[in-house]
Amino acid sequence: MSDSDTTSPAPENSPGQQTHFGFKQVDKSQKASLVANVFDSVAAKYDVMNDLMSLGVHRLWKRYTIDCSGVRAGHKVLDIAGGTGDLTAKFSRMVGPTGSVTLADINLSMLKVGRDKLRDKGLVSNIDYVQADAESLPFPDNTFDVVTMAFGLRNVTEKQNALDSIYRVLKPGGRLLVLEFSKPASEHLSKLYDIYSFHILPRMGQVVANDEESYRYLAESIRMHPDQETLKGMFEQAGFEQCDYSNLTGGIVALHRGYKF
Amino acid sequence: MPASALFTATAEAAVNRILTLDEDSAGRLAALEGQRLVLFLDELPAGLTLIFSKRVDIHTEPRSHPEVVADIDTHTCCIRTSVSVLPKLTQTSQLTQLIRQQALDLDGELSIAQKVAALFGQLDTDPEEWLSDYIGDIAAHQAFSSAEKFKQSLMQVLGRTRAGITNTITEEKPIGVGKLAMLHFSDEVSILRDDIQRFEARLNALDKEQ
Ligand SMILES: C[S@@+](CC[C@H](N)C(=O)[O-])C[C@H]1O[C@@H](n2cnc3c(N)ncnc32)[C@H](O)[C@@H]1O
Repeated sequence: MSDSDTTSPAPENSPGQQTHFGFKQVDKSQKASLVANVFDSVAAKYDVMNDLMSLGVHRLWKRYTIDCSGVRAGHKVLDIAGGTGDLTAKFSRMVGPTGSVTLADINLSMLKVGRDKLRDKGLVSNIDYVQADAESLPFPDNTFDVVTMAFGLRNVTEKQNALDSIYRVLKPGGRLLVLEFSKPASEHLSKLYDIYSFHILPRMGQVVANDEESYRYLAESIRMHPDQETLKGMFEQAGFEQCDYSNLTGGIVALHRGYKF
Repeated sequence: MPASALFTATAEAAVNRILTLDEDSAGRLAALEGQRLVLFLDELPAGLTLIFSKRVDIHTEPRSHPEVVADIDTHTCCIRTSVSVLPKLTQTSQLTQLIRQQALDLDGELSIAQKVAALFGQLDTDPEEWLSDYIGDIAAHQAFSSAEKFKQSLMQVLGRTRAGITNTITEEKPIGVGKLAMLHFSDEVSILRDDIQRFEARLNALDKEQ
């Protein structure tokens, strides 16, 4: 990557313990590489598939996240699991020349697609690209004013480690925003959503990206992700205060917020 | 999904689209690079922040007007006003008068407000030419002819509405809404009519060019 890139290898998870990868149980030490395979495989078609799968609504979810971020000129922002850089692009313009945005992701393929996209948009001067695992962020304590993580947390092996690590790198007064798929508030919506996720989505993945498996993982990983209240509890456990969340599109997605004071 | 996200997304897309229709706007936009305007409109529940770079990003402002003013920097201008005053802001000579009339609060860097006024006030767009890029010259011309007919009907309706409003103010005042509100609406109608007349002049000019 660029001159300002740093690399932090994923931590070794001790073999023997199990975790979920979608609906499958796998060894904890394997999950990161399985997730890496998924995102290596989808990186090139990621943006197209995002628009298709959500009918463009993911842009509104992200916009809402940006609106709630309170990012201002001069801020230092970390977009962890930033992938192809949708949030980073906006933040780069919002923080201006006196601020900076760090786009961090564990996956080099996603990071490269993101870097190329942002450079094509003429966004270069205030963005750093860092390959990093959210569970062990390679930044000093109290570095960032705002940390965002959009659709990344559910892929992390030890989610609580990631929240602890983000808490450490946030400045006092800083805030964390996690945008992630969640639990639909109504039973009817939940049923419709299941049909869409398990029957339509993998087929779309097959037709557009020639990759049914990765999109099946996507649907399964969403179901295995903690619901709104559980995730809020995990925020509090990490030390965040004034934690709350907003359901978007009937709870299909939720935006969680917490502050470090 | 919060309506505000949809609103700012639409506004942002529209503003950037309009700016691309005027080649000269890039120069005016460059003068604003790195600066921002926070706009509080009395009619909207939250402020809007316009961030200028090679494009304009529009976002909902999470802070209140006093909070923004208390923490303003040299790259930011904050305006509080109402929708009806907005068109007047393109005439920068009127700013002081509007502030005196308390129709406008302006804090921070005044030159940003002036540059934003110039950015939008000096827009020189040619909608027919733009449309013809998409649907061809003939279809674009037909669309504009239809628009002309629509405009004529609209002008008639507006004329009747204005007469109706005047009657309402003078005859139905005791049971109607406040006079100020009515006058305000009436002014809005006048502004709309003026805009349509300008549009008509532009259409005529285009017709002559062909
Ligand atoms: C669904 S994508 C989201 C990308 C982007 N934030 C967006 O909203 O479009 C999930 C991203 O999380 C990254 N990721 C997965 N596990 C991670 C971890 N442990 N640390 C950092 N990034 C991770 C993946 O590489 C992938 O780029």
